[in-house]
Amino acid sequence: MAIVTPGKRPCERIAQSKVFAKKFTRAKRGVYAALTLTSLVDVMTIIVIFLLMNFSANGEVLYMSKDIRLPDAYHGAQLERAPVVSVSAEAVTFDGRMLLNTGDLDKGDALNVPELEEALRDEKRRYEAIHLNDPDHPFRGLVNVQADRRIPFKVIKRIMFACNQSGFANINFAALSRERGPAATVTASR
Amino acid sequence: MASAAPQEHTGKGGKKALDAELNLVPFIDLLSCCISFLLITAVWTQIAGLQVSSSGGPPEQQSKQESTIDVKLLLNDKGYQLTMAGASIDIPKLNGAFDRKALGEKLKTLKTSLPDQSAITVQPEDSVAYSDLVETVDTAMGERLRNVTVAPAN
Repeated sequence: MAIVTPGKRPCERIAQSKVFAKKFTRAKRGVYAALTLTSLVDVMTIIVIFLLMNFSANGEVLYMSKDIRLPDAYHGAQLERAPVVSVSAEAVTFDGRMLLNTGDLDKGDALNVPELEEALRDEKRRYEAIHLNDPDHPFRGLVNVQADRRIPFKVIKRIMFACNQSGFANINFAALSRERGPAATVTASR
Repeated sequence: MASAAPQEHTGKGGKKALDAELNLVPFIDLLSCCISFLLITAVWTQIAGLQVSSSGGPPEQQSKQESTIDVKLLLNDKGYQLTMAGASIDIPKLNGAFDRKALGEKLKTLKTSLPDQSAITVQPEDSVAYSDLVETVDTAMGERLRNVTVAPAN
């Protein structure tokens, strides 16, 4: 015998009737629940507007390391894309490649830093080789120095000397950009 | 509510609702893509650059004007020492920190008397921290002395 659902069941004649069979058919509830999407769209629109206002087409020029706390600057210009010399309390890196320990630069009276100078000269040669037939992009000798705020000038001095010796005379000191009202729009261009 | 929706007569006795429901799903898809893209490419920290020249670098092409003077700013353990036109002005540290406000006022006075002056040489001692150097250069640039040269103090 077939297994059937418990409850009232019409006989075969009633079940085939167009009039009486309706009493035995159960109403089906829809399985779809309508979500209120309008508020969701509102929230997403606000997020998109907020992110668009903060959008920067230049992207990230410097890699922010937790070992390097930059000082604040109120009158800086926008940082250009250039080779980056990072100086933390532990190490000196060039474009993310570790070159030497910072402690070594704090010793002695010599100014030259052979490892850094070699890396910068390689970078200069590479740039000039790439832009050999490109007069629109001459070598400008631009380098970004990103140093921790506690680094003494003795170390910075040697970094600057190495940059100069390698032909990178335009040195940009990286700092966190701060706003001081509407008057803080002076740029640092020469 | 459905009963409050405007209705039009179809002529056959039935009423057809005038409300049309917008399909928001593609719009949400588009917004989701925008949010993902903007979040991935977002730059949360704004980095500024203070361009300086070094005393050891190639000489800068700058027309020497009669209305400008050599201005040197020494940074040492005691504070600032501003030297210009043979005169020296000491700006001692305030609560152990360099008094940038006083320096700004002195440079503002200088800029007022010599509007064409745009060059200054900053000479920190070896023990001066990078933050003090950058903040001093920033103060000078704030007073429109934009040709900043950084040179060792000795």
